[in-house]
Amino acid sequence: MNSQINTETPNAVINMQGITKQFGGVVALNNVDLTAYAGEVLAIVGDNGAGKSTLIKILTGVYQPTNGHIELDGQRFSMANHSDAIAAGVDAVYQNLAIADHLTPAQNLFLGGELTKSFMGFTILDNKKMKAAATKILEERLGVRLKSMDVLTESLSGGQRQAVAIARAVRHENLRVLVMDEPTAALGPQETARTLQLIKALRDQGLTVIVISHSLDDVFEISDRIHVQRRGQCVGVVKTSDTNNEEVLSMIVGASTTSEEI
Amino acid sequence: MSETSIAPPSIGQKLQPYVSFIGPMAMIITILLFMAIVEPARYFRASNLNQILLDAALYMPMAMAMTFVITQRGIDLSIGSVAALSAIVMAFLIKQYDFPAHVATLIALSLGALMGLINGLVITRLKVPDLIGTLAMDLVYRGIALVLAKGLVLARFPELLTEIGRGQSLAYLPTPVVIGLACMLLGYFLLNSTHFGRYTISIGSNPEASEMTGIDVDRHRVYAYVLMGTMAALAGILLTGKLNAIQATSAPYFNLHVIAAVVVGGTSLFGGRASIVGSLAGVLLLSMMINALVTLRIEFFWQSVASGVVIIFSVALYTWLQKKDRDGGPGFKSLLFKPKNSKTFQLFAAIAIVLVVLALLGLVLSGGIKPNG
Repeated sequence: MNSQINTETPNAVINMQGITKQFGGVVALNNVDLTAYAGEVLAIVGDNGAGKSTLIKILTGVYQPTNGHIELDGQRFSMANHSDAIAAGVDAVYQNLAIADHLTPAQNLFLGGELTKSFMGFTILDNKKMKAAATKILEERLGVRLKSMDVLTESLSGGQRQAVAIARAVRHENLRVLVMDEPTAALGPQETARTLQLIKALRDQGLTVIVISHSLDDVFEISDRIHVQRRGQCVGVVKTSDTNNEEVLSMIVGASTTSEEI
Repeated sequence: MSETSIAPPSIGQKLQPYVSFIGPMAMIITILLFMAIVEPARYFRASNLNQILLDAALYMPMAMAMTFVITQRGIDLSIGSVAALSAIVMAFLIKQYDFPAHVATLIALSLGALMGLINGLVITRLKVPDLIGTLAMDLVYRGIALVLAKGLVLARFPELLTEIGRGQSLAYLPTPVVIGLACMLLGYFLLNSTHFGRYTISIGSNPEASEMTGIDVDRHRVYAYVLMGTMAALAGILLTGKLNAIQATSAPYFNLHVIAAVVVGGTSLFGGRASIVGSLAGVLLLSMMINALVTLRIEFFWQSVASGVVIIFSVALYTWLQKKDRDGGPGFKSLLFKPKNSKTFQLFAAIAIVLVVLALLGLVLSGGIKPNG
């Protein structure tokens, strides 16, 4: 299967090429390329309606592109739904977190992929094992220690709930790419700092983290590169260390001369 | 979402896991205390306590299954008819076609499962809302039962059935109580140790998230209705055995009674919050309450009033507790007495005045009060 390998960017984990998405007559995305490497945080910024959400929904298999294709590790792959994306190693933490409030953190972490054991010939849930594994993932990979693992998730703070949602994605051994939609939007300053720390930790573990954010402060704090969307098109990808707040802002609103505007 | 992570859990949060148990327990103790003062001799007789357990046993299997249905944000209003129809078919098979009792009861259970499956498919495939779907199927099942049995009362069944319905041959507890408690245990196991139980909570808690996680939401909803139908049929068998008779119009109030027991037990009508132990406590509470009404020689029909009042108060109480838990809301009184409810009060006053005027008019016209008399 080496015929599909992309020679230009051999170590790109994700390579989206010429992605176009139309909803009826509306063009949400127009010929967008996106590349992300292992162990980096790529921020996607842009105004409302710039196509950020559509772009990551295509990446995570929620939408199918009208045109264009996606390569993972150089292999072209197509997804019929979100489960295909998870199986391929791409998962997302959504803004609303998609957490069942009435389950415990461990139950949420393994929701849909429960650990089981055999009991008198029946396959039943192994609650003890899940609790131990969930505690381990939260502590070792995310550095989060909950006071109790037996409380319902609804009683956790915003940051803790988010840690549970992230842990659920990280639980998959084959996870390569983690997409986060507005991870700090609903958090206070203290929890924002903690979440950014967590994102950096995941990057240092070799994951590709793609973050959508409205907060340029956060973007500059954590990202390695910034992908700027405007009106359904990519108007530029810049190294975070080579740019500044004003430049990115002007790209977002379309006043910059460095942008690849048509 | 809350802004801070350091706030210690409130008392409400600490009590949360136990609320479903404490609530009915408090009410049960209240009833016990009340009856201990008012009518201790007759209420606490061993035969009467046995009767309470027998009455409760009938509802235990259904309350267990209804816990799953309600936790998934569903409701099943057809259980009375499912019970009646499966029991009628069973009775016919035994009385007219000489089926052995054990085969006939197993057929009844399977029929209940089939009716539950139909309910589930109506709801998940035809997209008819639970409330309307099961209410309509209630009419269908009841109609078929009436068509089959007309006004017949089928009575006098083999020993197996009466043993199931009111026997005492197992240890110290009546057989139906053992069956009911076994169902509750099964429910506890299903809820805590199977995929079905886990997904029941997640579906009720967050249907969209469950769908996104790859859970087959519709399939697990159908499972809950199949369980419900099977347990309703079991209740039909228990009822037949208990009375040693069955007719098409039997079990008219099963649905509200069972829903009341489950809701009183702390299972949330808004989904996601399940308590099997609470449902058991709820069933016991209702049986004790109704038995108390009977012991106090209050007319049978007041039971219906009492059940309705209990449902309203427990739902209101749990809703308020949850809201208070989240928002630290004001007292229970504020639910009824809002600052801007003068319009509502005016409406209430208007209706009251119209009623009083009409009543007086009726009295005058009927000659109840003689003018110038």
